[in-house]
Amino acid sequence: MNIVIGTVVLMALAAWAWQRLETPVDREVAFEATRRMVFLNGPRLVVALISAGLFAELLPDESVRAYLGDTSGMTGVLLGAVLGIVTPGGAFVSFALAAGATQAGASASALVAYISAWSLFALTKVITEELAFLGVRFILLRVVFTFPLPLIAGAVALVF
Amino acid sequence: MKAGKSAGRSRAEEPAGRTSPFDGSFFILGCIATGAALGVACAEGPVRVLEIALSYLGFLALLSPKVLCGFFIAASVPILIPREALTRWVGGESGARGLVVACLAGALVPGGPSMIFPLAAGFRAAGASLAVLITFVTAWSLYGINRTVIWEMSFLYIDFVLLRVLICLPLPLLAGWFVARVTR
Repeated sequence: MNIVIGTVVLMALAAWAWQRLETPVDREVAFEATRRMVFLNGPRLVVALISAGLFAELLPDESVRAYLGDTSGMTGVLLGAVLGIVTPGGAFVSFALAAGATQAGASASALVAYISAWSLFALTKVITEELAFLGVRFILLRVVFTFPLPLIAGAVALVF
Repeated sequence: MKAGKSAGRSRAEEPAGRTSPFDGSFFILGCIATGAALGVACAEGPVRVLEIALSYLGFLALLSPKVLCGFFIAASVPILIPREALTRWVGGESGARGLVVACLAGALVPGGPSMIFPLAAGFRAAGASLAVLITFVTAWSLYGINRTVIWEMSFLYIDFVLLRVLICLPLPLLAGWFVARVTR
């Protein structure tokens, strides 16, 4: 159902973008860039998605329940945040793992911390992309100012 | 408007970093995938590996319209909103208004890290403050529209996604406000 909702939202946005592009030249440029993205990301997407499924399968259910389950509280939040930082790969890997962990019994608060920490500080993303464009100083400052955010988000989720 | 569009077009034609799908990071991904496949094969047999691979390929087929639309939107935005205009918009604002603009831009500009980080570097060159930059990167990280709609909503339940986004909504502004206070 989520997939249908997301697809409809994105189709509407794509139609809007198409409408706004107006000229055939602009549309052709956008299509060319789209083809390029498919070419660059397609193979990676296939491999990443399959490995995400394999990782989700390898998750040890009992440990997930014990360390990230409903009784784990703030410890689970902290652990989730740490795991988020070290999860390699793109969005599909972390989300597939999160989905696998949900099935295995991880709590919503630990997952909020996990996804937030991954989004903000995933090492592969920071090292391969952010470092090149924004530099060490910016990354350090950003980490200093925002490192508590996944913990805050996880702690707030504990209340719900 | 016309001049802005042609500027946007020249931007869209620039190569976006990677030029081949099979670079170093793809190789690392391949190694990770192989390791995971071996792990599952040892634990549950090679048939299970095949089952998972097929079911996730089916999942990808299901996601593909959404992913293609997302790519098209990400490809259109640099043409519709030239980078120069966006940079003036975010880089030129300051104070509380600047933080709100940066937060909105981070949430709504589509694209992955290879698009967002160069954009942030452009904002910095245009004079954006550290508070504005951190707000922008934090908002994009926590609830950038691309990742949330294409990926997070595909894998996780919508009530969970909404809860997480709702909780995270004020955090980029909070961080930006804190940075502005400390660095003043």
